[in-house]
Amino acid sequence: MSRNKFRRLSGVRNRGINPRGFHVSQIKFYVLLMPLAIFMLLPIIFVISNAFKPPDELFAYPPRFFVTSPTLKNFSDLFSKMSTSGIPVSRYLFNSILITLVTVAASIIVSSMAAYALSKKRFKLKKTLFAVNNVALMFVPIAVTIPRFLVIERLNLLDSFWVHILPVLAMPVGLFLLKQFIDGIPDEVIEAAQIDGASDWRIYWRIILPLIQPALATIAILTFQAAWNNADTSSLYLNNESLRTFAFYLSTLTSTTTGANAVAGQGIAAAAALIMFLPNLLIFIFLQSQVMSTMSHSGLK
Amino acid sequence: MMSRSLFRREVSLRSREALHGYGFILIWVVGFALFTFLPLVETFRYSVNQVTVTATSINLDFVEWANYTRALFTDPNFVELLVGYTIETLVSVPIVLIFAMLIAMFLNLKFRFKGLFRTIFFLPIVITSGPVIKELTAQGAASAPGIANIPAVIEFLEQLPRALRSPVEYLLTSFILILWFSGVQILIYLASLQKVDRSVYEAAAIDGASGWEIFWKVTLPSLSTATVVNAIYTIITLSHFSENKVIQYIYARTYDVHGGIGYASALAFIYFGVMVVLLGLVYFFLMNWARRGSR
Repeated sequence: MSRNKFRRLSGVRNRGINPRGFHVSQIKFYVLLMPLAIFMLLPIIFVISNAFKPPDELFAYPPRFFVTSPTLKNFSDLFSKMSTSGIPVSRYLFNSILITLVTVAASIIVSSMAAYALSKKRFKLKKTLFAVNNVALMFVPIAVTIPRFLVIERLNLLDSFWVHILPVLAMPVGLFLLKQFIDGIPDEVIEAAQIDGASDWRIYWRIILPLIQPALATIAILTFQAAWNNADTSSLYLNNESLRTFAFYLSTLTSTTTGANAVAGQGIAAAAALIMFLPNLLIFIFLQSQVMSTMSHSGLK
Repeated sequence: MMSRSLFRREVSLRSREALHGYGFILIWVVGFALFTFLPLVETFRYSVNQVTVTATSINLDFVEWANYTRALFTDPNFVELLVGYTIETLVSVPIVLIFAMLIAMFLNLKFRFKGLFRTIFFLPIVITSGPVIKELTAQGAASAPGIANIPAVIEFLEQLPRALRSPVEYLLTSFILILWFSGVQILIYLASLQKVDRSVYEAAAIDGASGWEIFWKVTLPSLSTATVVNAIYTIITLSHFSENKVIQYIYARTYDVHGGIGYASALAFIYFGVMVVLLGLVYFFLMNWARRGSR
């Protein structure tokens, strides 16, 4: 602060563009950003408070935002439901955690390698491949579910662990975003490294990856969510109950209960939604510092 | 590694580079071809067939474009859903872009707790996909239907010309939802804002440009690439959003007895076509603007 004050007093201030430290003129930012920020936090607060609502509050009309008499009943209902099913919950949890970890790591490596090649290498099919990727990007994933099933069947992947991981490795959105970020890295950086005798792999590992860290963290968050929340793979491609995921398990719990007891089902669903959401939030909090802190270094200056 | 030393001597630099390029992209190409491209081609084949699934096999009956004409001219719901989707996208994209740009510019300024604010505005990335949005829409909290029932709003909507009414109503009720789609976009804008050379701003300030002029002549043109990327990303996420009505409709048709997979595949391709047109429009419009801006 004292340094900032000194700068301001001595007039060495980047006038108008970058005020340093706190200044009365900054109040307007807070006035503008605060409400918007609170607004962005609302859904999360809502999901948390929803999970603790007793049935009469869940069905209240008009719906109330905050819980007034919080209860843990939704969770105890959920857990008692869990203890009555045949396969231990830990099995599903273990599957989900392992699948999510492998998927995130592998898809980041595959997408970033492909993005590096598409962005910085010169070869014939480059433009075509990127165009094909953009086409796939626009296509609704559910429309290819059935043909994908046939491919998986032909590859003998049905009822195997790999069916969770292999189909989602080549994620079009990931490639698209990563390529845009790598495009932003000046060619000079890579040329300099080549002159210094760095191999392709070394350039990729030591230069490209660190420079696109914000994008990588973003993709990691997106892939994590896709993998962690994925219940479709379990229901479509797997018959073996012990290979299915936690997300699938929770969805069966909430859907069977809605038939039998709609009121309790809502509560269980709210509790399950919170449990499913927490890892997303944790990974977000864990990775967001990667996104934010390295952003200013992504470039030449 | 051995093969590399062989190549070094015999193969020209260019083809060596090409080879390395293919090497880096190989795994991706294989995965993509198997699990995305092949199924896509197969889906197109379904879309021009009447598909019947039996316990042992899938039977195809070639019907030319019957599925497509049925979707466009006979189906009472699909076209309406598509038009709704198009209007919603065309309304949402500019809002998301402008909102993301403004927030990114704010977050690029220096003030206290900037990191905290950046984190909060990046949060939508965990909201719009996954269980949260499902829970929110299930509870009806994602939109504000109450707004459309306020007498003053109804009166206001009735004053509007017919063509404008539904976009404005959509804007009023789903404003909240639209803003939650801006997480990644803010990040992309921030990243490209930080790549702008500070000295350009300084030069502009020395030449006597006002903040307003600096925004239009320096900041905005330097964000043109990011804007194109963001527009594409926004359209894609909006159209793949799991609560999207067109998607839900296609999904429901897949398991219909009548028509089934073939019909749903045709729907998916029409949807895809609309998306391509939308992207083309936005791309063309933004590219023109970017070129004018840089001049």
